[in-house]
Amino acid sequence: MLEFDGLYKSYGDNRVLEGVGFAVAAGSMFGFCGANGAGKTTTMRIALGLARADAGEVRWRGVPLDAAIRRRIGYMPEERGLYPKMRVGEQLTYFARLHGLDAAAAARAAEHWAERLGLGARRKDAVEKLSLGNQQRVQLAAALVSRPEVLILDEPFSGLDPVGVDSLAEALLEQCRDGVPVVFSSHQLDLVERLCDSVGILARGRIVASGTVEELRRREAGRLLRVVVPDAPQGWAASVPGVRVVSQQAGDTLLELAAGTDDQVVLAAGLRTGRVTHFAWREPTLVELFREAVADPAPSVDPAEVAA
Amino acid sequence: MSDPGTAGDGRGQKALGSAALVRLVAGREISTRLRDKNFIISSIVIIVILIGVMVFQVVVGAGEDEGRVGVVGDASALGPAIEAQGEAAGVDVTIVGFDDDAAARQAVEDGDVDGALVGGTGGAPQLLVDDRDPTTEAVVTGAVAAVALADRLAEAGVDVSGLPQVSVTSLAGGDDDSQQIVVAIIGVGLLYGLLILFGQFVAQGVVEEKSSRVVELLLATMRPWQLLAGKIAGLGVLGLAQIVVIGIVGVVGALAFDVVDVPGDLIGTVVSVVLWFVLGYAFYASVFAVAASLVSRQEDLGSVLTPTTLVLVAGFFVGIQAATDPDSTLATATSFVPGLSPLVMPVRQAAGEAAAWEVALAVVLMLVAVALVVRLGGRVYAGALLRTSGRTKLREALRAERA
Repeated sequence: MLEFDGLYKSYGDNRVLEGVGFAVAAGSMFGFCGANGAGKTTTMRIALGLARADAGEVRWRGVPLDAAIRRRIGYMPEERGLYPKMRVGEQLTYFARLHGLDAAAAARAAEHWAERLGLGARRKDAVEKLSLGNQQRVQLAAALVSRPEVLILDEPFSGLDPVGVDSLAEALLEQCRDGVPVVFSSHQLDLVERLCDSVGILARGRIVASGTVEELRRREAGRLLRVVVPDAPQGWAASVPGVRVVSQQAGDTLLELAAGTDDQVVLAAGLRTGRVTHFAWREPTLVELFREAVADPAPSVDPAEVAA
Repeated sequence: MSDPGTAGDGRGQKALGSAALVRLVAGREISTRLRDKNFIISSIVIIVILIGVMVFQVVVGAGEDEGRVGVVGDASALGPAIEAQGEAAGVDVTIVGFDDDAAARQAVEDGDVDGALVGGTGGAPQLLVDDRDPTTEAVVTGAVAAVALADRLAEAGVDVSGLPQVSVTSLAGGDDDSQQIVVAIIGVGLLYGLLILFGQFVAQGVVEEKSSRVVELLLATMRPWQLLAGKIAGLGVLGLAQIVVIGIVGVVGALAFDVVDVPGDLIGTVVSVVLWFVLGYAFYASVFAVAASLVSRQEDLGSVLTPTTLVLVAGFFVGIQAATDPDSTLATATSFVPGLSPLVMPVRQAAGEAAAWEVALAVVLMLVAVALVVRLGGRVYAGALLRTSGRTKLREALRAERA
């Protein structure tokens, strides 16, 4: 279990993190979402020892991270960084050695990962001679080459074409299957939704929502019911007790049910108006969940925002 | 699937100590530089220049200090006299005998000899020259006068063997330091050049890591001081190797071409220059690295390095000045100032003007300065490395260590 516990960090008067905490189980993938400047990068940098938390700590298997444990973390910084004039193979070997592999193991691992990520033919080329996509692959290889126990990747998918996204996703899923906890941040929420076992949404220096995508949905989705009744008059559902009409366009009606209201009563009311062509709890997308979570805290949810 | 690196201890990983990390960083610096064509070329150029200077010395020296003088008729008395006069004037004169005036005249016109003496010790001796050359004229005139004088005195029955002989005593302790000072000047020039060169290498390396952002990956595996130490040590080994090779080539060349008289003193001066290089490099490389860590682009490097470079330039000029006047107040004072001492003290040592305690004091002051720079600079470096936007102020960096 990789645990981020109560992280606080401010730069001068700017309070970036105010108690960020979440946990990632071994072999699971954690999607880290948040608006720009929410503090995702700072959180990851604290885990890597690149920034010092004012309070709180990050633990791996119950032990606070130190230099030795950090050496077993594979890291991909948001600002990509490699030696431009150094050859791909030597660069990977060097990073593997910095992570503690001996010379022979490092050379083998560098060769293996270059081959795996389709860079075999470019091993002897300087990084600056590679296309951006290939440089990105070298960056990923640099994170994976040391056989890390933990992977922390800052925006690993940004700048990749769809094929690159697929091959990176495949590589990450494989790491997960090997029992490595993977934390990555991304703005591509469809990708997060597709890949991640759990999600954390960071806003205003805190994790405002976390859990599996299912859990997040259930929390939000329990309240909204979409009923399509083509023949119904405007305001057909207004008289059903415990129901508030969020919106109605022709027969397409979005209803918010108070706790304890029986959805079957709503269905019966709908049937009384004629045909019911659609009746389902509405599953918000992660994008909608994200918007709601990072929106400025308001006492009640703005229904228009949710329905959008 | 066979996983590389998973054999044996599970993941093929070991704990890495500071020494191992510093060695890894240093190793990368060395192998990168050794494959850098510019570095190889500049190293070769320096050595070629050094050999060239020595060859030039030998050739020019040979041209100046050799003369051929023709003598018509019997040269048994005049020959040795001309050679003796030549020696006194610092010219290695060769005597060429001619049978008659015509042959002598022809030899002068052909440039075979610098001059030809006709008429010997007779009443009207005549020196034939192609171009007038004061040295040859003085040597021949002196010889003729001396021989004639001895002849007259002998005719008059005066014994010249009992004339007083002048013996020479050097007040400078019996040693001629001028050669050592020349060596020290060359050494200080080299030292200056190499300090600038390797300081620049260190600075460029630091900025390269910052501008390419690779520093973030590096600092995820090591502390800033380990990165700094590895970089300085790696390039330092190269710089030291270079100055030692140059020193060896210089000493061997100087001995082979017979440019110096006292090999022991030459070697002593070369060794002291090499040792001062180590101290000077430790100081300037640290300062350059720290200054470079404040900027994020190679273009901004000049502005942060200029103040330190100026100190180096000042040291160089004081060092050269010290060579002409090694016991001046300026030379004495600056030979203790950390940063200047590596460029001034070797000159004073070569001139024999520095007592052992003075050298020891200068070394200690320099060591203290290096320790301070490394300690304070390490903090600045750590604070500035991850600030990749524009230029970091020194004060911010000091406050922000690993912010």
